[in-house]
Amino acid sequence: MTKDDVILRADNLIAGYLPGVNILNGCSMEVKKGELIGIIGPNGAGKSTFLKSLFGLVNIREGEVTLNGANITNLRADELVRHGIGFVPQTDNVFPSLTIEENLEMGAYQAHASFKKRLAVIGDLFPVLIDRRHQRAGSLSGGERQMVAMARALMMDPQVLLLDEPSAGLSPDRQDETFVRTRTINRTGVTVIMVEQNARRCLQICDRGYVLDQGTTAYTATGKELLKDPKVIELYLGTLGA
Amino acid sequence: MTIERRTVVRAVLVFVVAALAVTLFSAMTAQGATVSDSAVSSDISMTTTTVDIDPPDDAASEPAPTSYSGSNRFLQSIVNGLVFGLLLALASVGLSLIYGTTGLSNFAHGEQVSFGAVLTYFFATQQPVSLPMIPVSFVIGMPLVPAALLAIAVAGALGWVQDRYLWSRLRKRRVGLVQQMIVSIGLSLAILNFIQWWVGGRRLRLTPDIDPRYQLGPVYLGEQTLISTGIAIACLLGVGFFLTQTRRGRATRAVSDNPSLAAASGIKVDSIVRLVWVMAASLAAVGGILLALYENGTAFDAGARLLLLMFAAVTLGGLGHPFGALVGSMVIGLVTEVSTVWLAPDLKYAVALGILILVLLVRPQGILGRAERVG
Ligand SMILES: Nc1ncnc2c1ncn2[C@@H]1O[C@H](COP(=O)(O)OP(=O)(O)OP(=O)(O)O)[C@@H](O)[C@H]1O
Ligand SMILES: [Mg+2]
Repeated sequence: MTKDDVILRADNLIAGYLPGVNILNGCSMEVKKGELIGIIGPNGAGKSTFLKSLFGLVNIREGEVTLNGANITNLRADELVRHGIGFVPQTDNVFPSLTIEENLEMGAYQAHASFKKRLAVIGDLFPVLIDRRHQRAGSLSGGERQMVAMARALMMDPQVLLLDEPSAGLSPDRQDETFVRTRTINRTGVTVIMVEQNARRCLQICDRGYVLDQGTTAYTATGKELLKDPKVIELYLGTLGA
Repeated sequence: MTIERRTVVRAVLVFVVAALAVTLFSAMTAQGATVSDSAVSSDISMTTTTVDIDPPDDAASEPAPTSYSGSNRFLQSIVNGLVFGLLLALASVGLSLIYGTTGLSNFAHGEQVSFGAVLTYFFATQQPVSLPMIPVSFVIGMPLVPAALLAIAVAGALGWVQDRYLWSRLRKRRVGLVQQMIVSIGLSLAILNFIQWWVGGRRLRLTPDIDPRYQLGPVYLGEQTLISTGIAIACLLGVGFFLTQTRRGRATRAVSDNPSLAAASGIKVDSIVRLVWVMAASLAAVGGILLALYENGTAFDAGARLLLLMFAAVTLGGLGHPFGALVGSMVIGLVTEVSTVWLAPDLKYAVALGILILVLLVRPQGILGRAERVG
């Protein structure tokens, strides 16, 4: 891989919430432009922490994050948004007392001049949201909230989109919808890094997967290889329907 | 909530320093009293000439006379309640905004209210005034409106300074909310004592004018009261417009909903909070000035006496809900004023607390607060 098609690189990140307690001990990742990356791992492995540290919400104690070669380690979230990173948290990912349209407007807060234009683009991806734009986000179902959250993160037209378990809590067909939509977004040129519990489905659509365990990125391979990897099958996919 | 030992120690330290400062100030007041004594006595002799149109001091907390012959006492109390509710809303809307965006229960908010009124007195009065620590007295005697505007600007600036040099730093170091609240209690005492030391404990009238009263049907309303009510309504509409119709206002509501998601959306949370502090402090000052006009005077502890009602109003309306302060204040204003028809005015706070408990038993999230969705 040549150096200039790497868009995001994380180098041996050590990070944590409380002083003296490291949740991540050496996470590394290299993502090429336009890739769809899946991160899988057991509960509590530090997947969410990893995404949050990439997005400046968890303090990185050691290591470096670069975007297009520029050091973005520990930048504030609003600065990272300006650099072209979007983030959808695992929980609490909408503003409940704001309407859908206001949620999307907040997503485009730094580029309000192009709000209308982006709204039209996002409206093609999520037509339901436009129909119901005056509804309060707090009154939406989990699946609808997930849509609002993803749409909000796309409002700034990010280069890299970080998704934390976008399919969590959704019914199987809604999960499928989410994966398909993620793939669609990725095809429009957005590099996507997604954390998923639904490892099998995630690895099926991913270009490449990372396995995260106990705060370290244990290994990486293409989605197809990981799906066949006996160790991954044993630990994360189970034997059912393998 | 996890409470870290280090932050507790830090909060206690700040508290001790604040308490020491208060004690020091009080001690200096005792000495400074001799310096400003002459000014005070001349002031008293001046005000005695107007004292017969003043309400007696102990009834001063009662906004307007309720016993005009020929007026309907009940209707009058409703009108008084609405007016008082509006002014209370103006004073407490900032408390609610700060709570919403930062989670802080700011006990020093009452002092912002007093500060606005006292500053206006300082700029407007024809009495000689002096600055703390400087034993020279002088008369500024500005007209009331520019004096009030200047006072509001200074109060807003104090809000900015407070957030810049105190609260934003505590937030950055992730000091817990309980600890921050304790700091605000210390700060409240410190400012209270500072204002007392500065202007003394007497009642201060912002304007020597006698407020002409009009009879509207069965109720009486003063001219100043009418103007104050108009200003209060305009300010509250302005806040409503800001929160719903402007980009920054909507971002303020977004920060109230979820600060880290707001940051993840690219909103500069710190600058929104700074703006909220300036707005809250200015609005509190406006509220303090209008209340001082309505009550025919103010004092160093005007805001401190109001604090309980403000907290009751904000909680009643729905903690952190942008329009909760307005609704809660109207309820508290009405209920406390109407209760004076049957109950002694001294029971006002008890009535406010009673209605608060009643409403919370029925609607734990407050009148406008939304029950948190599960899952
Ligand atoms: N805000 C926080 N403060 C302190 N510790 C935290 C915080 N959030 C997470 N942790 C700790 O960090 C560790 C990793 O959590 P993280 O949320 O990153 O796991 P995860 O891999 O995303 O798990 P899941 O699959 O359940 O979402 C956990 O042990 C958790 O206790
Ligand atoms: Mg997680």
